[in-house]
Formats: sequence, C-alpha cells, structure tokens
Amino acid sequence: MSSYEANSILRTSRASSIQLDERHVRGQDHTRLSPEDAVYGSLPRRPHHRESSPLGRSDTVTLGNASHPAPAYSRKRHEKRRGRSGSRRPKAVWKKLLWVKQSYPDNYTDEETFLDHLQRNPRLRPYEFWPLVADSTIIVQHVCSVIIFVCCFTGIFQERISPQTIVSWATIGTVAGWVMWDFWQSQEQKERATLAKLVQEDGTGGEDAAQRSSSSASDSAPRASSVAAEFGMQLTESSISLRADQGQDTFQSQKSGLTASASKTSLPPVSAIPGVDQSVLPPTVASPPPAYVPPYQGKPSVFSLRVQERLLTAKSAVLIYCSLLGLSPILKSLTKSTSSDSIWALSSWLMILNVFTFDYSAGPEATFPASLSTNAALMASTVLASRLPSTTHVFSLTLFSIEVFGLFPVFRRHLRHHSWNGHLGLTFFLVAVAGAGLSMIISRGGWGFGILGMVLGGLATCLSMGMTSWWLIGLQRYKNEIRGPWDPARPVIRRGWD
Amino acid sequence: MISDFFYPQPGGVESHIYQLSTKLIDRGHRVIIITHAYSAPHPSRSGVRYLTNRLKVYHLPHWVVYRSTTFPTVFSSFPILRQIFIREQIQIVHGHASLSNLCHEGLLHARTMGLATVFTDHSLFGFSDAASIMANKLLKFSLSDVGHVICVSHTCKENTTLRASLNPLAVSVIPNAVVASNFRPLQPHEAKLLTQGGKGALLPPPPDPSQPVGPNDPITIIVISRLFYNKGTDLLISALPLLLRRHENLRFIIAGSGPKAIDLEQTLDSLPQQLVYTASGSPRVVLLGSIRHEEVRDVMVRGHLLLSTSLTEAFGTVLVEAASCGLMVVATRVGGVPEVLPGNMTIFVLPEVEDVVRGVTEAVGLLISKAVRRDKFHDLVKNMYSWSDIARRTERVYDLITGCPSAPDNIANYDEEWQHYGQMAHTQSQALIDRLKRYFGCGVWAGKLFVVVVVVDYLIYCVLELIYPREGIDVCKPWPVMGADDGTFGIEEVVLERFGTVRQKTRR
Repeated sequence: MSSYEANSILRTSRASSIQLDERHVRGQDHTRLSPEDAVYGSLPRRPHHRESSPLGRSDTVTLGNASHPAPAYSRKRHEKRRGRSGSRRPKAVWKKLLWVKQSYPDNYTDEETFLDHLQRNPRLRPYEFWPLVADSTIIVQHVCSVIIFVCCFTGIFQERISPQTIVSWATIGTVAGWVMWDFWQSQEQKERATLAKLVQEDGTGGEDAAQRSSSSASDSAPRASSVAAEFGMQLTESSISLRADQGQDTFQSQKSGLTASASKTSLPPVSAIPGVDQSVLPPTVASPPPAYVPPYQGKPSVFSLRVQERLLTAKSAVLIYCSLLGLSPILKSLTKSTSSDSIWALSSWLMILNVFTFDYSAGPEATFPASLSTNAALMASTVLASRLPSTTHVFSLTLFSIEVFGLFPVFRRHLRHHSWNGHLGLTFFLVAVAGAGLSMIISRGGWGFGILGMVLGGLATCLSMGMTSWWLIGLQRYKNEIRGPWDPARPVIRRGWD
Repeated sequence: MISDFFYPQPGGVESHIYQLSTKLIDRGHRVIIITHAYSAPHPSRSGVRYLTNRLKVYHLPHWVVYRSTTFPTVFSSFPILRQIFIREQIQIVHGHASLSNLCHEGLLHARTMGLATVFTDHSLFGFSDAASIMANKLLKFSLSDVGHVICVSHTCKENTTLRASLNPLAVSVIPNAVVASNFRPLQPHEAKLLTQGGKGALLPPPPDPSQPVGPNDPITIIVISRLFYNKGTDLLISALPLLLRRHENLRFIIAGSGPKAIDLEQTLDSLPQQLVYTASGSPRVVLLGSIRHEEVRDVMVRGHLLLSTSLTEAFGTVLVEAASCGLMVVATRVGGVPEVLPGNMTIFVLPEVEDVVRGVTEAVGLLISKAVRRDKFHDLVKNMYSWSDIARRTERVYDLITGCPSAPDNIANYDEEWQHYGQMAHTQSQALIDRLKRYFGCGVWAGKLFVVVVVVDYLIYCVLELIYPREGIDVCKPWPVMGADDGTFGIEEVVLERFGTVRQKTRR
C-alpha cells in the first residue's frame, strides 16, 4: 500500500519525476534531472550537457554550458558583483549550505547535488517463482481445511454423513498427528541433549575450568544459544528437559557453572534465556529449583518425564471432551432463536475473517498465533451448531472444529518444519479432499463427482498458485520506496551502561 | 500570512512568522496575519489585534481539533477569508506550515480569487507511513497551483519537491534566522545577576566565554529539546551514563519536557550516586523541565556545549541559537542539520550512542585545547542569519511571482544572469481551466476529486461575489507610513496567517 502510494506520487508527478524514473532505470549513469525540464514542457529544452561530462563535475558543467548559448535561464556561474564591477574572479561553486552567503538565488537548484542522497528501494529483495509457489502452499492448506470444514458441516446438515463418522475420523487423525508430534519432540530432545553435552564437554574440558580464560566459555555460549535458537523451543519445554538432565549431570553442571561465572560478565544476559545449555547458566540461576518447576520435583516419580507430559496432554484432552459434552446442549440452544439467514451470513463472515487473519508466517515455536482467527472460526462453528438437530451433532461439530481450527494448524506448522515432503503430501491430500468434498456437496452427487471435483480442484489450485505468484512478481516492478536524509534516523542504542 | 500556528502559542513557526512579518513591514510592505482564535490553555485571543510594528492579526473563529490545528473544512472559511482579502487589498497570500489546515484553505481560496500564493514548509516528512501519505496528498493538492514554495533547508527542499511533485525551480531555500540580540553570550555584568537568582543558585555558575577552559574545570553541557522519541531522547538517555563515567568534569543541564522525561529520570535514579553527584554533593545532571523561549538564552549561557540528539530536524533553530550564545554544538547529522552551521562550531555525530560519546569527547578536547574561539561565535552567527536578510530574500520570491521589479538591494545581490532565474516563462495562467489541468494531474483518483473541489470553490466564489459584492466591502485604510519612508518599494500586501503572542509583543 505504502509503496504503491509513494509510487503513484512519483508516477503522477510532473515531468521532473519521470526524468527521475528514467535516470534510475538507466542505472548509475551521471545524467540527472535538470530542473528546466520539469514544468515548462513548452519551452525549448536545454540539452543534457552532463552527457558530455561523464564525471559530472561542476567545472565541466560550466564549460559545457558555455557551448550552449543563451538558454531561457542562463546558468553561468558569475560571481556577484559587490563593489568590484566586472572583475571575473574564479567562479564560486554553489554549496549545499545555509550559513554561507552565496551569490546564487535562493531557488537555485544544483544539478549535481540535488537529490543525490535519494535512495530508492534500498532493501529490495526480488521474489523468485518457485519459492513463492512453495510458500503459497501454506495458504492453500488453510483455505482447503476451511473448505473441508464447511463441506463437512453441509454434509451433516443435509444428513448425508453422520457426524460420528466425521468426528471419529478426525479424532483418529488428530491422535495420529499427536503421535507424530510427540515423536518429533522426543527426537529433538535427544538431539538437544547430545548437543548440550557437547557444549558441556567444551566448557569443562579441563579440571582448571574456573581458571580458564573467559574466551572459551563465551565461545561456547553463542554456539549453544544459536543451537537453542535453531530449535526454537518453548521455554517451558526446555526447562523441563533441563531438569531431566540436571539429576545426572549435577556435578558437571556445577563445574561448568564455575566457568560460566568466571565469564559471566562477558556474556550478554540474552544467552541465558533459551536455557537449553545448562552449562552456561550461572550457578545462582541453575542450582536452586526455579519457581516454575512443578511441585512433584522432589518426589520420585513412577513415570519418566516424557510419559508425564503425555499424561498431562491426555488429561487436558479428556477435560476438553467432557466439558464439550456438557456444553453442547447449551451451545445448541444458544443461537437457536436467530434466523437461519443471519446464521449463514454471520458464519460466512467469520470464516472469511478466519482466512484473512490467520497467521501464515508463524513457525512451530509460535504458541498462540492469530488468536483472532482461531476465535472467529470457533465462533462460526458455535453459531452453525445451533442449526443441527441433536446434541450429538452439536458435540461432534464443535469437537471437529476444535480439531480443525485449533490443533490442525499446530500440526501443519510442525510438519512443515520437520518434513517438507510431508508438507507437500499433506497439501495434495487437502486439495484433493477439499475439491472432492466441494464437488460432491454442490452437485449432491456421488463418488464420480468427487473424482471430477478432485481433478478440477487440483487444476484450479495449481493455476491460481502460479498466476498469483506471477502477478506478485510482476507487481514488484511498481515497488518504489523512497529514502533520503529527511527520514528520521534510527538510533543505535545500547541498553545498560556498563 | 496564513497559518494555524501563531502566538500566543509558542513555537518555531510562530516566531518565524512574527519576525518575518515585522521585517517585511520594515521593508515597506503591509502585512497582516490570519490565524484561528485561541482560548485556554493559551491566553484567549479572538477578533482583530494589533501587535507591535503595525502588525495586524486576525483571529478567525475556528474549531481547533488537534495540537492547535483547525478542523479541515475545505470551504467554510472562504467567506470570511474573502472579506479579509478584499478589505486589506491583499496581493500575496503566504501560508506557513504543512500541517495547518487554515493555511491550505487560504491558499486554495486565494488561488480561486486570483491572488499570488507562496507557501513555506517548516518540516520534513517520510514517505512510508500512512499518515505521511495522507499529508503528502493534501500537500500535493495544495501546492499544485501555488506560485512559489519556500523551504527552510536544502534537505527540506528536496523532501518537499518529492512530496508534492514540484518544479525545483519554484522552490526556494530561505532558512530561519535568530534575533541575535536576544542570544548574546554572557556579558560580564550579567554574571552576578545570574548566580544570585533563586533558581540560578542550583545551576552551575555560568562560565566566561572569553576565558579558556582548564583541563579540570567543570564543563557544562546544555540539552534543550522536547523529550520525545523523534528528538532522540533515547539516544541521550543511553549516552548520559557513559559520558558521566568517562568525564569526571562534565555537568548536564537538560531543559524540556515530554513523554520521555520519566525514562530520563528513571535512568538517573538507577545510576550510582557517585556518578550523579559531585564530590561536594551537588548534582551533575539538572533537569529543568520545560522552559519558556525567553529563558532559553539564560540557560544556554551557563554551558560550554550544546548537545542535540534529534533524529529528524528540518532546520535546527536551537543549534543556531546556541552558537549565537557562544556554545560549541554537538549535533546528530540528520535532516538539514549539516547545512546549518560551519564545521568549526559544530561536531556532527551519527545517531549512535558510541558516536555521541565520541563527539562530546572530541568537543571537550577542543574546548580544553583552546582550539575554538567561542567568544567569536556570536558575531559570526549574527552575520550568517538575520531576519532582515531573510525578509529581503522572501521579498525576492514575492517579486518573482508577481513580476514586480526588485528592490535595489535585492538586485545588487545577484548577477543579471540570475535575475529571472526560475521565473515562470509565462505568468502562471489564471484561467480556471489551466488550474483544473494542474489539479487533474495530481493522481488517478485524487486528481478528479481535487478538480471537483476546485470547481465547487469557484462556484462558491461566484455566489459570494453576488451576495457580498466587492463594492460593498470597506477597504481598510493603511497605517500612515512612519519615518522617512520614501516608498521605494511597491506596496505589496502579504497575508501571513500566524498566531502572534502577546509575550512577543511586550518584549519588543
């Protein structure tokens, strides 16, 4: 928007800026806009004398000027004749300064320096086609899952599919997804543990760790923190895993804590936050159990940490299940008195809101991205639920919507992070299902229409992905960001005074 | 002169309008100022007022929306403005400040009435955020048809030229100036007065600019700025502790208030006591809060250095004022600041904490090594910037757009070759259709909208001519010309709308 506006400012401007454009398109040659070219199109234009002087120095301009006799505005740089009439001193060069008294008029525009600090599109990163298409799969996935949800609701509403089938398939899918996610988590933890150990060995190589120069520890710190950044894990998870390691490695971590304390002053405090590498944490932070540790820390637990986590997840799943079961009669009658027209309109708008406010750029580390989007979708399903005949229907639809809009995006983010092929496969699967479902719902037909829809949907998706990507690349031409000395400077500030 | 901003509200634009108007009157012009009515928190001003030097101020009844800007009604002020223009026999309308709606309205109506227009831009705008885009569109509309534009610095000229797609030749650079007599360095007889005052006792004693600074003498740094983000207060806050620690002999006086004042105070509180207080227990950093413009000089003369960490600045009047008071200036190299003062008075720094510290260190070194003659600064600045010079240059702009012959001292300043430099090849066409063409070129949609606005404005003008015929409007009698004014200059009427303060009036 802004770049378009800025662009239109220039584009619609008078000839001056057109000149400007040309100059920039032509690249870094030294022909610049000459002010006379700007408005007075009717006047005979002075030729660009600069072209004869590739360096564009002002002295050559003066020479070049002499060969072009009597333009409308003569620009011979004469000294002002204050008291010394007719004396031709060496010509004063115009300076871009306010405090010198110059013999040039105030509206003198120096062709050499005028707008020479102007930068256009300083940070332009041109898009490429295939990466763009690959990135657009994320949008396609989300749109497809919304379509699938709408199809399922219509199916339920038209009583073509039983809600139990849908919700049980969805639940099976969700559980499978959770298993995969769990598998990735444990894998990641293993990797992190080995890496952390490596770091520890780095840090505590010798017995005289405390006497080591701070350089080695501060070497390991950025490495460790970069490792943490790579995994991008949530803080809580990593702190839990830390505790697991803590029991075995107390001795080591204490030792390495010494190292860390030796080099503590040189470490930026940020490196401690990811908390993956116990070793670089100062002992004051690491040794006492932190406040956020759950209370069963001291007791010997029957289950290992992973299992505890899984049990927690199962517990919250059961909780959600039960509360939904209790809530569904209320949800069913909540908007019952509203007329169906309003419901359809409202839910359509909510779904559109969901699609447009969804956070497509969120990575796997994002905990609650685009809560507005998720809430809009859940509200849409709540509103839709009132059109269903029985409590079971309502319960199934609400559970299904939680799975589709709440949990499925999380899974998709992790899948994209871990396996690109899986991501692609999921995209194809979703496109196919959405196409088939849409076609079957619209045509009210059977599987034949489903296959037709699959083909059509696939084609339409491919076409639109390619077209929009091309379009975006084409629009890049119009990007026109203007930077110059008038922009507020960005201060470089170092917080903390020592 | 037309602007939303005039006294009694204090500020840079306000004093610019006042000073320029007075000097133009001195040159034989008749100047009136049009601004909106002021009420609380300012002293209330409405109706017509006369300021010193026969300067007449019209305070129009307008609804003030935000920061003393009037509500953007496009046409509502046309009747009253037309009455004023006819009554005062205005020939040139000179608007000030790009955020002033009254100014833009005045320019539009003046063009409809066929008067010459000049616009002065005092500020810089970016191109990227939404507010700037809106402001730029408005500016483009207003300036499409304006006769000439004056900017306060070369950077400002480049910015305005781009924002409003102007012809660079129709843009002049005429800087602000300072009243040098109000910003004199400390006079010997004043030294006692300043130290004896109740408030002055808290502050470090003013140094004598003619005495060199010894290596261990305390050096006082003055910071005068509103404490806003865009004034670089964050930079100041981060640099302050470093400076205090590196130089034992530095003292700070910080004048100004704003949202960042709390941050500044918190930073000072969090510092160790030995940094913030001297051995004798007096504070090394004094926060004065906001001070009035008249007090600025009294604060400035107490220091050796002025530190300006602003992130964007069109001109930087405070730097000139400080130099005029004989202070060395350390300023960030942003906007028009590098053009304002010569290198031997200024040290330019990048907007980075380390570089600010480096710049101050360098300035302190220069002061101690006696490489700068601070006592010479005042006379130098006096020659660089004076309002009568500014008025002369402004008059040349007026001559240029009206096609009047220039005053003799104006001709003498430039060669013949420059005489018609930048003048319109043919006088700007007054025909409505030509104006419409210019507006139409403003943009795909905006152009058409602008054309509609201008056409409506023209229709209103026709209706007004019928309802209030020109003959029915009394013409204001001019003041008798004071002194031996031989009337060499063609009497021009300059409408500058600004807000005039009574304070300014009593001072003179």
